[in-house]
Amino acid sequence: MSRIPGGEPAVRLEGIAKRLGWTWALRELDLEIERGSSVVLVGPNGAGKTTLLRLLATLLKPSAGAGEVMGIPLQRGADDIRGRVGLLSARGYLYGDLTAVENLQFAAWMGGTRTDGRSVRSALSRVGLDHVADRRAREFSSGMQKRLAFAALLTRPLELVLLDEPYASLDTDGIRMVDEFVGEWKRDGRTVLLATHRRGQAVSGADRVAVLQSGRLRRFCLPSELEPGDLDPEEPEPGRPESHAEAARG
Amino acid sequence: MTTTELPRFKRGRAPLLGLVTLIILVAGAMAGLLAVPADALQGEVQRLMYVHVPAAWLAMLAFFVVFVMSVLYLIQRDPRWDLIAVSSAEIGIVFTALTLVLGSLWGKPTWGVWWTWDPRLTTTAIMLMIYVGYLVVRSFAEDPEKRARWSAIIGIVGFVDVPIVYLSVLWWRTLHQPPSSPRSMAGEFVYVLLLNVAAFTFLYAYLMVRRYRLAVAERQLEELRLSREDRGGR
Amino acid sequence: MNGSLALRTWAILWKDMLVELRTKQSFSAMVFFAALVLFLFGFAIGPDPATLSRLGGGLLWIAIAFTGMLSLGRTFQSEEVAGGLDGLRMYPGEIRAIYLGKLLANFVLLILLEIVLVPVAAVLLQLEPWGRFPLFVGITLLGTFGFSVIGTFYASLTQHLRARELMLPLLLFPALVPVFLGAVNATTLALAGDPLDRIGGWVRLLISFDVIFFVVCVWIYPLVLEE
Repeated sequence: MSRIPGGEPAVRLEGIAKRLGWTWALRELDLEIERGSSVVLVGPNGAGKTTLLRLLATLLKPSAGAGEVMGIPLQRGADDIRGRVGLLSARGYLYGDLTAVENLQFAAWMGGTRTDGRSVRSALSRVGLDHVADRRAREFSSGMQKRLAFAALLTRPLELVLLDEPYASLDTDGIRMVDEFVGEWKRDGRTVLLATHRRGQAVSGADRVAVLQSGRLRRFCLPSELEPGDLDPEEPEPGRPESHAEAARG
Repeated sequence: MTTTELPRFKRGRAPLLGLVTLIILVAGAMAGLLAVPADALQGEVQRLMYVHVPAAWLAMLAFFVVFVMSVLYLIQRDPRWDLIAVSSAEIGIVFTALTLVLGSLWGKPTWGVWWTWDPRLTTTAIMLMIYVGYLVVRSFAEDPEKRARWSAIIGIVGFVDVPIVYLSVLWWRTLHQPPSSPRSMAGEFVYVLLLNVAAFTFLYAYLMVRRYRLAVAERQLEELRLSREDRGGR
Repeated sequence: MNGSLALRTWAILWKDMLVELRTKQSFSAMVFFAALVLFLFGFAIGPDPATLSRLGGGLLWIAIAFTGMLSLGRTFQSEEVAGGLDGLRMYPGEIRAIYLGKLLANFVLLILLEIVLVPVAAVLLQLEPWGRFPLFVGITLLGTFGFSVIGTFYASLTQHLRARELMLPLLLFPALVPVFLGAVNATTLALAGDPLDRIGGWVRLLISFDVIFFVVCVWIYPLVLEE
């Protein structure tokens, strides 16, 4: 795989394994992702997609193996890595009793940005929620909550964006919005790793596709090189409420 | 695949250690019961001291080992340290309970009550609760790594707490009445007491060897179950 | 980096206080629970004013400890509702900001509770905290801080355990013995007068406990949240 000369890859994993409770969620995983590229992560429920994203966000410590994110070792540089990596989780991490603006204000402060209200409001308008800025997140539909969680990512300067099921519960407009953001991040030189069940556009528009199965990397290739067996034959409708099986894993 | 390198035991010297322990224990008991005269003031019941004090010593030693092993575990993440810690904690709890019972038996004829808010007795009771918490947390955590990490943290915080608990209870008691201070003892009493302390130290070593092997076996059983449930693995 | 630790600690405190403000019912419920505990003590002990005021310091702290325990359990459950502690752990910088923010939130909440509870206790138990009020306030702050330091730590540790409602008090109350003894005795002396000047010793005990456990808990907290 080609590398940008002089630049560390965004992600480099060697022999990564992660044990959650009594099961191995990831086994002997090797992966290298170029800076500025977009990679789509596919695989059935329980394949380890969420675990891999959480591991890259340093929320999980690898049980074995070594890895670097943005050239910083996972084992020692977790606090630094989190400053450059953003995770959009399937769980949202929104506080229902806070308004949309307050949720974003909180995310910005936690990200270390001493922001004023204006940048928060602009992030809200970019996800199309400016008309409900002062309503509580509890009252939002799941699609609106997903948009709000997206806006939280926009309040922080990130080098690697990890998206876990970003399309889930979004309408057609929302799906287009996600694709636009991914394109924009790539143009800015950021790296995007996106886990999804949705096959169509996300897969074909990506630079690479990583197929996970039972915690192993089954294939890492160009979208055109995918074999029929790599994708789950059953394709969920976009916008369908996602299954909680993936989110419930450790 | 395993992150755990557990020792495999050959036929060891545990039976020999057990025999030595038994001999010293019998010698200590005989010395305490026969070799020294009964206390002038308290009479025969004072002989309880030869078990009570060593039991308390053993409990303290055991909890100190829990503390050291907890620190080591958190630094090195070697499951063996965790297994030693839990073995030591269980033995410590048994002997803390024994200390309390013996203290109570000694207290009834001496003070006229089963329980008194003596600083050492009270601290021993609080210590028992702290380490029972340690064990109960373990039983409620399924993930072996989390179980080891969380209980190690409790092993450290609890150990730091015990001397402060003692000081605070001591202070509280001295406001009401002076604590029962140990009178200086004659030489022969000291030697018999030391013999019994040595006997209990050997007993601790012996129990540790036995309990640790059991802990390793339990852990290996867990690992085995894991690899069976996880046949898709390597 | 330290600036960002302070910012994130503040952010968590701000967020938790805002949520409390939005859900005032739970704070009122806490206050009523604490008052209810005082009433039960009154029934158990009898209406004799001398007895009540002699035991007042102890009763006040038991009410605070029980109510505080309930509110500690809620601190981390609110994160569970939002999707789990990963929502806080995923941000950059030291993980200790989570502990510091939650600690301050618990501390402030308990102080607010006490501001309401102390006058109620003064009426119900015939206490006279107003004579040496600054001293009384100082002792209350020290005791509450010690409670919050250990309480927040163990609340976070037991968060993912089965039967955490049971485990939190089981771990917390034995560890709290020094704080409890210090706070109860100092409060009682502050209320009843302190002819032998023994209050200084208890205050020093409280300060030592607060400092020692603050350092220990802050230091090892990142190990609690590891996954």
